[in-house]
Amino acid sequence: MSPELKVAVGMSRKWDAYEAGREVARDTLDRLGKKPDFFLLFCTIHYRDHGGFKKFLKGIWEVLPEGTSLVGGTVTGFINPRGCFIRGAVAIAASSPEMDVSVGCGKNTKRNPEKAAKDCTGMIEKGLANSKHSERFLLNLVSGSMAIKIPGYGYRKVIDSSLISKSISRTVSISQYMLQRGFGREDEVFERVVKKLPDYHMILGTCIGSFKGITNYQFFNDSIMTNSIVALGMATDMNLDVCTTHGMKRTDIKFEITKLSKDSHIIKEINGKPAVPELYRLLNWPKNFLNEENIYERILYYPISLVKHGREVPVVMPFIFKDYLGIPCRADKGEAWIMTVSGKNLLKALEDNLNSFSSMQPEFGLFSACITILQALGNNVRKIREILLKYFKDKPFLMLFCAGEGTYSPKMGLSYANMSYNTAMFGYNRNEVKL
Amino acid sequence: MSVNTEIEEILRNNLLKLEDVYACMVARKGMEGIVLIEEKGQELRDVWVSLEKTMNQFFSIIKAYSIYGLNKIYFELGKFDVIFFILPETDTALVALIPALANRGLLEVELENTREKIIEILKRENTL
Repeated sequence: MSPELKVAVGMSRKWDAYEAGREVARDTLDRLGKKPDFFLLFCTIHYRDHGGFKKFLKGIWEVLPEGTSLVGGTVTGFINPRGCFIRGAVAIAASSPEMDVSVGCGKNTKRNPEKAAKDCTGMIEKGLANSKHSERFLLNLVSGSMAIKIPGYGYRKVIDSSLISKSISRTVSISQYMLQRGFGREDEVFERVVKKLPDYHMILGTCIGSFKGITNYQFFNDSIMTNSIVALGMATDMNLDVCTTHGMKRTDIKFEITKLSKDSHIIKEINGKPAVPELYRLLNWPKNFLNEENIYERILYYPISLVKHGREVPVVMPFIFKDYLGIPCRADKGEAWIMTVSGKNLLKALEDNLNSFSSMQPEFGLFSACITILQALGNNVRKIREILLKYFKDKPFLMLFCAGEGTYSPKMGLSYANMSYNTAMFGYNRNEVKL
Repeated sequence: MSVNTEIEEILRNNLLKLEDVYACMVARKGMEGIVLIEEKGQELRDVWVSLEKTMNQFFSIIKAYSIYGLNKIYFELGKFDVIFFILPETDTALVALIPALANRGLLEVELENTREKIIEILKRENTL
């Protein structure tokens, strides 16, 4: 174990963007006690309306040493050793002689995921080309879905008009291309990143602003970006691994996806019938059970199982276009189930996740988890922190609440899901640790 | 800084500045509460005044169930939801008025942070 590895998590709860930027940077650096090799920065959307992100980053860079590699973005909340928060700014920074880092970015993820992934991975590869460290890691932060503004309706998650819904199903790709609004396509970006860097271990977090899904931001050094991927690449001699778990169980409600939109993001028919009425029938829901105001209070608790990359994963259905269901990743035709979870199983899923790293003595951990876990557990989310504190003891960790998440490892392959925990664990082999 | 001023500051910073918190208070049985309210119209004010008036009756309910570990109470009042976070084994409650169908799960996280801070202050001052 290297005594020279330093990792620190700092935070700010100040409301003012500039002051919060300064404080989160100062707090992190004070705890680190060295010049950081990287600085991962996350915050809630509140700073947009309390000074703005320009001032937020200005505050950061007044404190952070010039040239520090910085990536980050907006999230809905975070857990660190000091607590659970849905407002504030947080950063994790590290310094180690046995680590090289590189940052990358790619623009226009909704318009052209291929190019965004290529640009980003190209920068990472170039930056780590001469590194002699054997293990490779990539943190991917991708812009999430953004609600489409419907003329006369505004930003909507539920569309009652059949005409507009049909129009959306035909034009959503155009909206993604022209306006960069609609589904995030983070699953597509992630798949392309994996194809380009298959030897890396990776974790994905999808940036989100508020639950309204109107906008989200990414940070790349001193730039504020939207509709982008930003990434931190790391080459190290530390042990590292990734893992995805969810506590979902299949219910006995099974159906078949029989018709999809061209881009596979909209389920048009299930069991050969219009998707939404058929879903209502299967779930025994009363007519008009879902509306613009309550959709997230209800439907997010009924994810469907999709088989993605050979693995069954839960995926939520956050958009209703009259008879069609909109989902954040691409679906395939075929069998699917409604899934369910209890609060108890949500906590067990995290314990199962941590137990998968039993051979590793952790030095620090990064997590991306689904915002619906935060929503479902409410103030009981503190139990997640208790589990993490027990596992990490005095070592730092940071869990980010995102809107779509995943992992990839050369051994386990790619996993993209909703309602899941995704861990990147860094440490040393327990057998090699001298106590 | 007095305890009341300190608690008022925490309520303002942690809760009232959030978009979805219209009003909040720390209420104690038989005592005047620490109350903060946004200027959001007469209906909200009327609901809040009713809540303040009936607080002591709520404390009878809280007391009856506290031995079973009562932690929080919700109720829905048309356009509003009311959340009570009980300070464990006390006759003190943190109360928030939020819009109906607001994201309760997220707001609960900050309510919990606020509850913990208030407990800390009251313990320090030996008033818990």
